[in-house]
Amino acid sequence: MAPQPEVIARVSAGPPANPTEAKVRELAKAALAEGKVDYVIGWCYGYDRSQAIPAFVRDPDEADELIVNGLVHHNLVTFLKRKMPDPPNAKIGVCVKGCDSRTLVALLQEELVDRERLYVIGVPCRGTIERRKIEKEFTDEVVDIAFSADRTTVTATTRGGETKDFATDDVLRSQCTVCRYPNPRYADDLAAEEVTPRLEGEPTWPSVDEFELLSPAEKDAKMAEVFETCIRCFACIHACPVCYCWDQCVCRSRSPELVSQRVGPAENLVFQMIHMFHVAGRCPSCGACDQACPVEIPLYLLHRKMNKELYDMLGFEAGVDLDAKPVFQTFRIEDVLGEH
Amino acid sequence: MAHAATTAEAAGAASGSAPEVKVLGIVCNWCSYAGADGAGTARLKQPLNLRLVRVPCTGRIDPLFALKAFENGADGVLISGCHPGDCHYSEGNYYARRKFELLDRMLPFLGVEPERFRYTWVSASEGTRWQQVVTEFVNQVKALGPRTGRAL
Repeated sequence: MAPQPEVIARVSAGPPANPTEAKVRELAKAALAEGKVDYVIGWCYGYDRSQAIPAFVRDPDEADELIVNGLVHHNLVTFLKRKMPDPPNAKIGVCVKGCDSRTLVALLQEELVDRERLYVIGVPCRGTIERRKIEKEFTDEVVDIAFSADRTTVTATTRGGETKDFATDDVLRSQCTVCRYPNPRYADDLAAEEVTPRLEGEPTWPSVDEFELLSPAEKDAKMAEVFETCIRCFACIHACPVCYCWDQCVCRSRSPELVSQRVGPAENLVFQMIHMFHVAGRCPSCGACDQACPVEIPLYLLHRKMNKELYDMLGFEAGVDLDAKPVFQTFRIEDVLGEH
Repeated sequence: MAHAATTAEAAGAASGSAPEVKVLGIVCNWCSYAGADGAGTARLKQPLNLRLVRVPCTGRIDPLFALKAFENGADGVLISGCHPGDCHYSEGNYYARRKFELLDRMLPFLGVEPERFRYTWVSASEGTRWQQVVTEFVNQVKALGPRTGRAL
Protein backbone atom coordinates (compact mmCIF):
# COMPACT_ATOMS: atom_id res chain seq x y z
CA MET A 1 0.00 0.00 0.00
CA ALA A 2 1.28 3.50 -0.88
CA PRO A 3 2.56 5.46 2.12
CA GLN A 4 0.00 7.84 3.54
CA PRO A 5 1.08 11.50 3.71
CA GLU A 6 1.40 12.66 7.30
CA VAL A 7 -0.67 15.79 7.88
CA ILE A 8 0.52 16.64 11.37
CA ALA A 9 3.60 14.93 12.69
CA ARG A 10 2.77 12.49 15.43
CA VAL A 11 5.13 11.87 18.29
CA SER A 12 7.18 8.74 17.83
CA ALA A 13 6.83 6.13 20.54
CA GLY A 14 10.48 5.10 20.82
CA PRO A 15 11.64 1.87 22.45
CA PRO A 16 9.02 -0.11 24.40
CA ALA A 17 8.36 1.41 27.80
CA ASN A 18 7.10 -1.79 29.41
CA PRO A 19 6.99 -5.53 28.68
CA THR A 20 3.30 -5.47 27.68
CA GLU A 21 4.01 -2.82 25.09
CA ALA A 22 6.92 -4.83 23.72
CA LYS A 23 4.77 -7.95 23.49
CA VAL A 24 1.91 -6.12 21.75
CA ARG A 25 4.34 -4.77 19.16
CA GLU A 26 5.80 -8.25 18.69
CA LEU A 27 2.38 -9.88 18.25
CA ALA A 28 1.21 -7.16 15.86
CA LYS A 29 4.40 -7.34 13.86
CA ALA A 30 4.22 -11.14 13.57
CA ALA A 31 0.55 -11.10 12.56
CA LEU A 32 1.19 -8.47 9.88
CA ALA A 33 4.32 -10.19 8.59
CA GLU A 34 2.60 -13.58 8.36
CA GLY A 35 -0.32 -12.01 6.55
CA LYS A 36 -2.66 -13.20 9.27
CA VAL A 37 -4.23 -9.73 9.28
CA ASP A 38 -4.47 -6.81 6.88
CA TYR A 39 -4.11 -4.29 9.65
CA VAL A 40 -3.92 -4.07 13.41
CA ILE A 41 -5.88 -1.56 15.42
CA GLY A 42 -3.98 -0.44 18.50
CA TRP A 43 -2.98 2.74 20.28
CA CYS A 44 -0.19 5.20 19.55
CA TYR A 45 0.81 8.63 20.84
CA GLY A 46 -1.07 11.60 19.47
CA TYR A 47 0.52 14.96 18.81
CA ASP A 48 2.29 14.91 22.14
CA ARG A 49 3.00 12.36 24.86
CA SER A 50 0.04 13.35 26.99
CA GLN A 51 -2.56 11.40 25.07
CA ALA A 52 -3.03 8.28 23.05
CA ILE A 53 -5.01 7.99 19.83
CA PRO A 54 -6.22 4.92 17.94
CA ALA A 55 -3.67 3.62 15.46
CA PHE A 56 -4.26 1.58 12.31
CA VAL A 57 -1.04 -0.28 11.57
CA ARG A 58 -0.66 -1.77 8.10
CA ASP A 59 3.12 -2.13 7.87
CA PRO A 60 5.07 -4.45 10.26
CA ASP A 61 7.62 -1.63 10.82
CA GLU A 62 4.88 0.73 11.98
CA ALA A 63 4.06 -1.71 14.77
CA ASP A 64 6.87 -0.09 16.76
CA GLU A 65 4.62 2.95 17.15
CA LEU A 66 2.09 0.99 19.22
CA ILE A 67 1.87 1.83 22.90
CA VAL A 68 0.21 0.35 25.96
CA ASN A 69 0.10 2.39 29.13
CA GLY A 70 -2.38 4.19 31.34
CA LEU A 71 -3.34 6.56 28.54
CA VAL A 72 -4.95 3.99 26.25
CA HIS A 73 -8.57 4.48 27.25
CA HIS A 74 -10.05 4.13 23.74
CA ASN A 75 -12.28 1.17 23.21
CA LEU A 76 -11.09 0.01 19.79
CA VAL A 77 -13.97 -2.42 19.36
CA THR A 78 -15.97 0.58 18.18
CA PHE A 79 -14.12 0.30 14.84
CA LEU A 80 -15.42 -3.26 14.41
CA LYS A 81 -19.11 -2.50 14.73
CA ARG A 82 -21.30 -2.20 11.66
CA LYS A 83 -20.00 -5.50 10.30
CA MET A 84 -16.40 -4.36 9.83
CA PRO A 85 -16.75 -2.51 6.54
CA ASP A 86 -13.26 -1.48 5.56
CA PRO A 87 -12.52 -3.22 3.17
CA PRO A 88 -15.37 -5.75 3.17
CA ASN A 89 -13.16 -8.85 3.35
CA ALA A 90 -10.32 -7.46 5.50
CA LYS A 91 -8.83 -9.50 8.30
CA ILE A 92 -8.40 -7.28 11.31
CA GLY A 93 -6.20 -7.46 14.36
CA VAL A 94 -7.44 -5.55 17.35
CA CYS A 95 -6.04 -4.81 20.82
CA VAL A 96 -8.54 -5.11 23.65
CA LYS A 97 -8.41 -4.37 27.36
CA GLY A 98 -10.73 -6.13 29.78
CA CYS A 99 -13.71 -3.81 29.32
CA ASP A 100 -13.15 -3.62 25.55
CA SER A 101 -13.22 -7.40 25.33
CA ARG A 102 -16.58 -7.43 27.06
CA THR A 103 -18.03 -5.19 24.35
CA LEU A 104 -16.45 -7.47 21.76
CA VAL A 105 -18.05 -10.49 23.43
CA ALA A 106 -21.38 -8.64 23.38
CA LEU A 107 -21.03 -8.07 19.63
CA LEU A 108 -19.98 -11.70 19.09
CA GLN A 109 -22.98 -12.94 21.08
CA GLU A 110 -25.24 -11.21 18.58
CA GLU A 111 -23.08 -12.21 15.60
CA LEU A 112 -22.46 -8.60 14.71
CA VAL A 113 -18.79 -9.18 13.97
CA ASP A 114 -17.25 -12.09 12.14
CA ARG A 115 -15.03 -14.06 14.51
CA GLU A 116 -13.20 -15.74 11.64
CA ARG A 117 -11.83 -12.44 10.39
CA LEU A 118 -10.60 -11.24 13.77
CA TYR A 119 -7.28 -11.57 15.49
CA VAL A 120 -7.63 -10.35 19.05
CA ILE A 121 -4.61 -9.24 21.08
CA GLY A 122 -5.66 -9.22 24.73
CA VAL A 123 -4.10 -6.61 26.98
CA PRO A 124 -4.55 -7.27 30.71
CA CYS A 125 -5.22 -3.79 32.05
CA ARG A 126 -4.20 -2.05 35.25
CA GLY A 127 -6.54 0.85 34.72
CA THR A 128 -6.45 3.89 32.48
CA ILE A 129 -6.27 7.46 33.65
CA GLU A 130 -8.72 10.32 33.27
CA ARG A 131 -6.71 13.02 31.50
CA ARG A 132 -9.29 15.63 32.48
CA LYS A 133 -8.56 15.11 36.14
CA ILE A 134 -4.93 16.02 35.47
CA GLU A 135 -5.76 18.89 33.12
CA LYS A 136 -7.83 20.56 35.82
CA GLU A 137 -4.78 20.84 38.05
CA PHE A 138 -3.03 23.13 35.58
CA THR A 139 -3.81 26.41 33.85
CA ASP A 140 -1.37 25.61 31.04
CA GLU A 141 -1.73 22.86 28.44
CA VAL A 142 -0.54 19.41 29.49
CA VAL A 143 1.89 18.06 26.89
CA ASP A 144 3.47 15.05 28.56
CA ILE A 145 2.16 12.35 30.88
CA ALA A 146 4.65 9.72 32.02
CA PHE A 147 4.28 6.70 34.28
CA SER A 148 6.75 5.43 36.82
CA ALA A 149 8.10 1.92 36.22
CA ASP A 150 5.73 0.37 38.76
CA ARG A 151 2.81 2.46 37.45
CA THR A 152 2.03 3.95 40.87
CA THR A 153 2.94 7.54 39.96
CA VAL A 154 1.97 9.72 37.04
CA THR A 155 4.07 12.73 36.15
CA ALA A 156 2.42 15.45 34.09
CA THR A 157 4.33 18.26 32.39
CA THR A 158 2.85 21.37 30.83
CA ARG A 159 4.00 23.34 27.81
CA GLY A 160 5.53 25.90 30.16
CA GLY A 161 7.58 23.19 31.87
CA GLU A 162 5.54 22.97 35.07
CA THR A 163 5.60 19.44 36.50
CA LYS A 164 3.35 17.68 38.99
CA ASP A 165 3.21 14.13 40.32
CA PHE A 166 -0.05 12.28 40.94
CA ALA A 167 -0.77 8.92 42.51
CA THR A 168 -2.15 6.76 39.67
CA ASP A 169 -5.06 5.66 41.82
CA ASP A 170 -6.18 9.29 42.24
CA VAL A 171 -6.42 10.00 38.53
CA LEU A 172 -7.88 6.71 37.29
CA ARG A 173 -11.10 6.80 35.36
CA SER A 174 -13.90 6.12 37.81
CA GLN A 175 -14.95 2.85 36.14
CA CYS A 176 -11.37 1.58 36.43
CA THR A 177 -11.40 2.04 40.20
CA VAL A 178 -14.14 -0.60 40.52
CA CYS A 179 -13.03 -2.85 37.66
CA ARG A 180 -13.81 -6.53 38.14
CA TYR A 181 -12.76 -7.70 34.68
CA PRO A 182 -9.32 -6.21 33.89
CA ASN A 183 -8.37 -9.32 31.91
CA PRO A 184 -9.78 -9.89 28.43
CA ARG A 185 -12.74 -12.26 28.39
CA TYR A 186 -11.98 -13.16 24.80
CA ALA A 187 -8.59 -12.98 23.11
CA ASP A 188 -6.48 -15.05 20.72
CA ASP A 189 -3.19 -14.04 22.34
CA LEU A 190 -2.48 -12.35 25.63
CA ALA A 191 0.23 -9.69 25.75
CA ALA A 192 0.97 -10.14 29.45
CA GLU A 193 0.22 -12.22 32.52
CA GLU A 194 -3.30 -11.80 33.83
CA VAL A 195 -3.59 -9.14 36.52
CA THR A 196 -5.53 -9.25 39.78
CA PRO A 197 -8.83 -7.37 39.59
CA ARG A 198 -9.11 -4.27 41.76
CA LEU A 199 -12.43 -5.52 42.97
CA GLU A 200 -13.46 -9.11 43.50
CA GLY A 201 -16.83 -10.48 44.52
CA GLU A 202 -19.95 -8.34 44.22
CA PRO A 203 -19.82 -5.23 42.00
CA THR A 204 -20.09 -1.76 43.51
CA TRP A 205 -21.73 1.27 41.99
CA PRO A 206 -20.02 4.54 42.91
CA SER A 207 -21.88 7.79 42.10
CA VAL A 208 -25.10 5.86 41.49
CA ASP A 209 -25.59 5.07 45.16
CA GLU A 210 -25.09 8.72 46.15
CA PHE A 211 -27.42 9.96 43.41
CA GLU A 212 -30.15 7.56 44.51
CA LEU A 213 -30.30 9.21 47.92
CA LEU A 214 -31.53 12.50 46.44
CA SER A 215 -35.25 13.37 46.49
CA PRO A 216 -37.21 13.19 43.20
CA ALA A 217 -37.13 17.00 42.92
CA GLU A 218 -33.38 17.11 43.52
CA LYS A 219 -32.77 14.35 40.98
CA ASP A 220 -34.92 16.17 38.45
CA ALA A 221 -33.04 19.42 39.02
CA LYS A 222 -29.68 17.67 38.72
CA MET A 223 -30.69 15.77 35.56
CA ALA A 224 -32.02 18.98 34.00
CA GLU A 225 -28.82 20.83 34.85
CA VAL A 226 -26.62 18.09 33.45
CA PHE A 227 -28.55 17.38 30.25
CA GLU A 228 -29.18 21.05 29.49
CA THR A 229 -25.60 21.22 28.21
CA CYS A 230 -25.89 18.31 25.74
CA ILE A 231 -25.31 19.56 22.20
CA ARG A 232 -26.35 16.24 20.67
CA CYS A 233 -23.07 15.98 18.80
CA PHE A 234 -23.46 12.16 18.67
CA ALA A 235 -19.89 11.66 19.91
CA CYS A 236 -21.18 9.32 22.64
CA ILE A 237 -22.99 7.05 20.23
CA HIS A 238 -20.19 7.10 17.69
CA ALA A 239 -17.62 6.19 20.34
CA CYS A 240 -19.89 3.51 21.79
CA PRO A 241 -18.77 0.08 20.56
CA VAL A 242 -22.16 -1.53 21.09
CA CYS A 243 -24.43 1.19 19.61
CA TYR A 244 -24.48 0.31 15.94
CA CYS A 245 -27.67 1.43 14.18
CA TRP A 246 -25.97 4.48 12.67
CA ASP A 247 -28.26 6.25 10.21
CA GLN A 248 -31.11 3.92 11.07
CA CYS A 249 -31.07 5.14 14.68
CA VAL A 250 -34.53 5.92 15.98
CA CYS A 251 -33.22 9.23 17.32
CA ARG A 252 -33.01 10.45 13.72
CA SER A 253 -36.42 9.17 12.81
CA ARG A 254 -39.38 11.45 12.10
CA SER A 255 -41.88 8.64 12.40
CA PRO A 256 -41.90 7.68 15.19
CA GLU A 257 -40.43 10.91 16.43
CA LEU A 258 -38.90 10.08 19.77
CA VAL A 259 -36.47 12.98 19.63
CA SER A 260 -37.49 16.25 18.03
CA GLN A 261 -35.40 19.17 16.84
CA ARG A 262 -36.35 21.13 19.94
CA VAL A 263 -33.48 21.50 22.35
CA GLY A 264 -33.88 21.26 26.07
CA PRO A 265 -33.03 19.00 28.96
CA ALA A 266 -36.04 16.73 28.40
CA GLU A 267 -35.30 16.10 24.71
CA ASN A 268 -31.64 15.54 25.49
CA LEU A 269 -32.44 13.15 28.29
CA VAL A 270 -34.80 11.16 26.07
CA PHE A 271 -32.01 11.02 23.48
CA GLN A 272 -29.64 9.60 26.07
CA MET A 273 -32.27 7.20 27.37
CA ILE A 274 -32.68 5.84 23.84
CA HIS A 275 -28.98 5.09 23.89
CA MET A 276 -29.19 3.59 27.35
CA PHE A 277 -32.13 1.31 26.57
CA HIS A 278 -30.69 0.21 23.25
CA VAL A 279 -27.34 -0.85 24.68
CA ALA A 280 -28.89 -2.52 27.75
CA GLY A 281 -27.50 -6.04 27.86
CA ARG A 282 -24.41 -5.14 25.82
CA CYS A 283 -23.03 -2.17 27.75
CA PRO A 284 -20.38 -3.13 30.32
CA SER A 285 -19.93 0.53 31.42
CA CYS A 286 -16.62 0.79 29.58
CA GLY A 287 -16.86 4.57 29.73
CA ALA A 288 -16.16 5.28 26.05
CA CYS A 289 -19.17 7.63 25.97
CA ASP A 290 -17.97 9.60 29.00
CA GLN A 291 -14.56 10.05 27.44
CA ALA A 292 -16.06 11.17 24.15
CA CYS A 293 -18.46 13.73 25.62
CA PRO A 294 -17.11 17.23 24.91
CA VAL A 295 -19.28 18.84 27.60
CA GLU A 296 -18.45 16.26 30.27
CA ILE A 297 -21.98 14.97 30.89
CA PRO A 298 -21.74 12.15 33.45
CA LEU A 299 -23.30 9.57 31.14
CA TYR A 300 -22.01 6.86 33.44
CA LEU A 301 -24.82 7.75 35.82
CA LEU A 302 -27.42 6.34 33.43
CA HIS A 303 -25.35 3.41 32.22
CA ARG A 304 -24.06 2.35 35.58
CA LYS A 305 -27.54 2.60 37.05
CA MET A 306 -28.85 0.42 34.22
CA ASN A 307 -26.15 -2.17 34.85
CA LYS A 308 -26.78 -2.05 38.56
CA GLU A 309 -30.47 -2.78 38.03
CA LEU A 310 -29.84 -5.53 35.47
CA TYR A 311 -27.45 -7.16 37.92
CA ASP A 312 -29.94 -6.79 40.72
CA MET A 313 -32.89 -8.07 38.63
CA LEU A 314 -31.28 -10.96 36.80
CA GLY A 315 -27.69 -11.25 38.00
CA PHE A 316 -26.73 -10.23 34.49
CA GLU A 317 -23.41 -8.72 33.46
CA ALA A 318 -22.83 -7.76 29.85
CA GLY A 319 -20.17 -9.43 27.74
CA VAL A 320 -18.80 -11.81 30.34
CA ASP A 321 -19.85 -15.10 28.80
CA LEU A 322 -19.60 -15.76 25.06
CA ASP A 323 -22.45 -18.29 25.19
CA ALA A 324 -24.86 -16.12 27.17
CA LYS A 325 -27.83 -14.47 25.52
CA PRO A 326 -28.28 -10.69 25.75
CA VAL A 327 -30.70 -9.93 28.52
CA PHE A 328 -33.59 -8.58 26.44
CA GLN A 329 -33.38 -11.26 23.75
CA THR A 330 -34.34 -14.01 26.10
CA PHE A 331 -36.50 -14.63 29.16
CA ARG A 332 -37.08 -17.14 31.86
CA ILE A 333 -40.63 -18.12 32.72
CA GLU A 334 -39.59 -18.18 36.34
CA ASP A 335 -38.19 -14.61 36.26
CA VAL A 336 -39.27 -13.00 39.48
CA LEU A 337 -39.71 -9.33 38.82
CA GLY A 338 -41.51 -6.68 40.80
CA GLU A 339 -44.76 -6.51 38.74
CA HIS A 340 -47.70 -5.42 40.78
CA MET B 1 -43.80 19.80 29.92
CA ALA B 2 -44.14 23.41 31.04
CA HIS B 3 -46.82 23.94 28.41
CA ALA B 4 -48.75 20.85 29.51
CA ALA B 5 -48.61 21.96 33.14
CA THR B 6 -50.05 25.38 32.37
CA THR B 7 -52.88 23.85 30.35
CA ALA B 8 -53.74 21.54 33.22
CA GLU B 9 -53.58 24.43 35.66
CA ALA B 10 -55.80 26.55 33.45
CA ALA B 11 -58.35 23.75 33.25
CA GLY B 12 -58.24 23.38 37.02
CA ALA B 13 -58.59 27.12 37.59
CA ALA B 14 -61.55 27.35 35.20
CA SER B 15 -63.53 24.68 37.01
CA GLY B 16 -62.36 25.92 40.39
CA SER B 17 -61.15 22.46 41.38
CA ALA B 18 -57.70 20.85 41.82
CA PRO B 19 -55.80 20.61 38.53
CA GLU B 20 -56.60 17.43 36.62
CA VAL B 21 -53.88 14.91 35.94
CA LYS B 22 -53.38 13.21 32.61
CA VAL B 23 -52.65 9.51 32.68
CA LEU B 24 -51.66 7.46 29.66
CA GLY B 25 -52.60 3.80 29.56
CA ILE B 26 -50.91 1.47 27.10
CA VAL B 27 -52.76 -1.84 26.93
CA CYS B 28 -52.59 -4.99 24.87
CA ASN B 29 -55.43 -5.77 22.52
CA TRP B 30 -56.16 -9.26 23.78
CA CYS B 31 -56.38 -8.98 27.54
CA SER B 32 -56.28 -5.57 29.15
CA TYR B 33 -58.13 -3.73 26.38
CA ALA B 34 -60.81 -6.38 26.44
CA GLY B 35 -60.84 -6.17 30.24
CA ALA B 36 -61.26 -2.41 30.06
CA ASP B 37 -64.03 -2.91 27.50
CA GLY B 38 -65.66 -5.40 29.85
CA ALA B 39 -65.47 -2.91 32.69
CA GLY B 40 -67.15 -0.31 30.47
CA THR B 41 -69.88 -2.69 29.34
CA ALA B 42 -70.56 -3.60 32.95
CA ARG B 43 -70.82 0.17 33.67
CA LEU B 44 -68.14 0.07 36.33
CA LYS B 45 -67.30 3.64 37.32
CA GLN B 46 -63.75 4.66 36.38
CA PRO B 47 -61.77 7.91 36.60
CA LEU B 48 -61.82 10.04 33.45
CA ASN B 49 -58.14 10.93 33.56
CA LEU B 50 -56.99 7.85 31.67
CA ARG B 51 -56.38 7.89 27.92
CA LEU B 52 -55.90 4.44 26.47
CA VAL B 53 -53.62 3.41 23.62
CA ARG B 54 -54.20 -0.09 22.28
CA VAL B 55 -51.26 -2.12 20.99
CA PRO B 56 -51.21 -5.69 19.67
CA CYS B 57 -49.12 -7.04 22.55
CA THR B 58 -47.11 -5.72 25.49
CA GLY B 59 -44.11 -7.03 23.55
CA ARG B 60 -44.79 -4.17 21.13
CA ILE B 61 -44.36 -1.57 23.87
CA ASP B 62 -41.02 0.14 23.85
CA PRO B 63 -40.12 1.53 27.28
CA LEU B 64 -39.33 4.72 25.38
CA PHE B 65 -43.07 5.17 24.74
CA ALA B 66 -43.50 5.81 28.44
CA LEU B 67 -40.51 8.15 28.57
CA LYS B 68 -41.84 10.07 25.59
CA ALA B 69 -45.24 10.32 27.24
CA PHE B 70 -43.65 11.81 30.34
CA GLU B 71 -41.66 14.21 28.22
CA ASN B 72 -44.85 15.27 26.44
CA GLY B 73 -46.61 16.06 29.69
CA ALA B 74 -48.22 12.85 30.95
CA ASP B 75 -48.52 12.79 34.72
CA GLY B 76 -48.64 9.01 34.93
CA VAL B 77 -48.21 5.99 32.67
CA LEU B 78 -49.94 2.67 33.19
CA ILE B 79 -48.98 -0.38 31.15
CA SER B 80 -51.11 -3.49 31.20
CA GLY B 81 -51.28 -6.76 29.30
CA CYS B 82 -52.04 -10.44 29.54
CA HIS B 83 -50.90 -12.30 32.63
CA PRO B 84 -47.53 -14.04 32.14
CA GLY B 85 -48.35 -17.42 30.66
CA ASP B 86 -51.52 -16.14 28.96
CA CYS B 87 -49.97 -14.05 26.19
CA HIS B 88 -51.93 -14.27 22.95
CA TYR B 89 -48.57 -14.65 21.20
CA SER B 90 -47.30 -17.08 23.85
CA GLU B 91 -44.27 -15.14 25.06
CA GLY B 92 -44.53 -11.43 24.21
CA ASN B 93 -45.10 -10.38 27.79
CA TYR B 94 -42.19 -12.47 29.09
CA TYR B 95 -39.82 -10.34 27.00
CA ALA B 96 -41.75 -7.18 27.83
CA ARG B 97 -41.69 -7.51 31.58
CA ARG B 98 -37.90 -7.44 31.71
CA LYS B 99 -37.94 -4.12 29.87
CA PHE B 100 -40.74 -2.69 32.00
CA GLU B 101 -38.96 -3.71 35.16
CA LEU B 102 -35.82 -1.88 34.03
CA LEU B 103 -37.92 1.17 33.15
CA ASP B 104 -39.67 0.97 36.51
CA ARG B 105 -36.29 1.05 38.23
CA MET B 106 -34.85 3.78 35.98
CA LEU B 107 -37.70 6.31 36.19
CA PRO B 108 -37.21 7.22 39.88
CA PHE B 109 -33.54 7.77 39.03
CA LEU B 110 -34.56 10.42 36.48
CA GLY B 111 -36.59 12.32 39.03
CA VAL B 112 -40.01 10.82 38.23
CA GLU B 113 -41.78 9.67 41.39
CA PRO B 114 -42.18 5.86 41.42
CA GLU B 115 -45.97 6.22 41.92
CA ARG B 116 -46.29 7.70 38.43
CA PHE B 117 -45.46 4.49 36.60
CA ARG B 118 -46.96 1.06 36.96
CA TYR B 119 -47.03 -2.08 34.88
CA THR B 120 -49.51 -4.79 35.63
CA TRP B 121 -51.46 -7.67 34.13
CA VAL B 122 -55.24 -7.64 33.66
CA SER B 123 -57.02 -10.38 31.71
CA ALA B 124 -60.07 -10.02 29.48
CA SER B 125 -62.35 -11.40 32.15
CA GLU B 126 -61.08 -9.12 34.92
CA GLY B 127 -63.30 -6.06 34.41
CA THR B 128 -63.54 -5.41 38.12
CA ARG B 129 -59.80 -5.77 38.54
CA TRP B 130 -59.33 -3.24 35.74
CA GLN B 131 -61.63 -0.80 37.52
CA GLN B 132 -59.69 -1.29 40.73
CA VAL B 133 -56.25 -0.94 39.07
CA VAL B 134 -57.20 2.22 37.22
CA THR B 135 -58.89 3.85 40.21
CA GLU B 136 -55.98 3.07 42.46
CA PHE B 137 -53.37 4.25 39.97
CA VAL B 138 -55.16 7.47 39.02
CA ASN B 139 -55.69 8.27 42.70
CA GLN B 140 -52.03 7.88 43.49
CA VAL B 141 -51.10 10.12 40.55
CA LYS B 142 -53.73 12.65 41.66
CA ALA B 143 -52.20 12.67 45.12
CA LEU B 144 -48.92 13.81 43.54
CA GLY B 145 -50.62 16.28 41.22
CA PRO B 146 -49.41 17.41 37.78
CA ARG B 147 -45.72 17.05 37.07
CA THR B 148 -43.52 20.08 37.25
CA GLY B 149 -40.16 18.45 36.44
CA ARG B 150 -37.83 19.91 33.85
CA ALA B 151 -35.64 16.91 33.11
CA LEU B 152 -38.37 14.69 31.69
